[in-house]
Amino acid sequence: MPRRLLDRCLPDCIREFRAAARQRFDDALALAGRGRRTGAIYLWGYTAEMTLKAAYFALIGLADTDVITWNAHLQPAIQRGRGLGVAWPAQGAGHNVRAWAELLVAVRALSPATAWAPPFDRDVQRRGQRIEQLWRETLRYHKNDAYLYEMRQVREAAEWLLVHSDAL
Amino acid sequence: MPRKKRGVEEQARPARADLAERLADELRSDRASGQPLIDEQEFPSGKVRVTVIWDDWDRLPLEERTAVILRAYELAEGRGYGDRIALASGLTVPEAYGAGMLPFQIIPALRRGDSVTAEQCRRAMIEEGASTLLAADKPQLRFASEEEAEAARKRLIERLPDSEPVWVITQEVGKVEDWASR
Repeated sequence: MPRRLLDRCLPDCIREFRAAARQRFDDALALAGRGRRTGAIYLWGYTAEMTLKAAYFALIGLADTDVITWNAHLQPAIQRGRGLGVAWPAQGAGHNVRAWAELLVAVRALSPATAWAPPFDRDVQRRGQRIEQLWRETLRYHKNDAYLYEMRQVREAAEWLLVHSDAL
Repeated sequence: MPRKKRGVEEQARPARADLAERLADELRSDRASGQPLIDEQEFPSGKVRVTVIWDDWDRLPLEERTAVILRAYELAEGRGYGDRIALASGLTVPEAYGAGMLPFQIIPALRRGDSVTAEQCRRAMIEEGASTLLAADKPQLRFASEEEAEAARKRLIERLPDSEPVWVITQEVGKVEDWASR
């Protein structure tokens, strides 16, 4: 008997995040093409979230297949961000795309060797800010239809992060 | 088949000139109290992180707040300074409080017979930088550290002589689940 879907999933790791980010991006495109705008935004938000998390954990030296857990990696990353002055509300902390983007910029800025030259740092922050204003993981609980321009803004931001994932 | 080429870069939104000029004035004046609260952190790389806590950000998108901050620094510190700023964030007081950045608060504990009135306290707190975004009649005076709160308390007492027993500093301890997950 084939294993069930959840049993076939690998543990969370950079490789999974990156692959899933691309899949969710394409899933969202399929939804957008059928006029399911809020569903598309919902998935593009995760594209951004996984792209940024993968970038951060690669930056701090995790290997592609190292298992990422809440207690060992996500929670310390959030605490580190707060220590660096990133506004990181407790609610939905793990999914805060703007905060993950700012954490990445701040940690890179700690060293001249890793700091991004402007305007790339601002470009990353701006995409995080854009998504924060239009996306929450709690969108799944709501029936509202997104406007076309809202969908376009989230798609462009998620796409930008995905396209630049090698540079993040 | 038509072949359409375009860059993926988009232009940052233009900074709101009036806010940028006001913020630049604040950067030059370096006041001891009042809004906006400007928090700068310099990293070892020489890059700077700036957070501006200001109720005037209310209703302004985050991207525009960042553009205003960068423009204000250019105005106050000279062209090119913006390149040193890696992160520029604008938050209202309630937003900063919601993010856990302002855990200390000064509240007026007025009793019958005190020599100052509730209205005097309200005005003094607003001058000191209290937020009225949540309730105009109940200003919230919040700080990142106990030292900042204590310094503000001293200034309030200078503003309102004999008000020393009125001002109480409290600290937000957060939810039990937040502590449990630390």
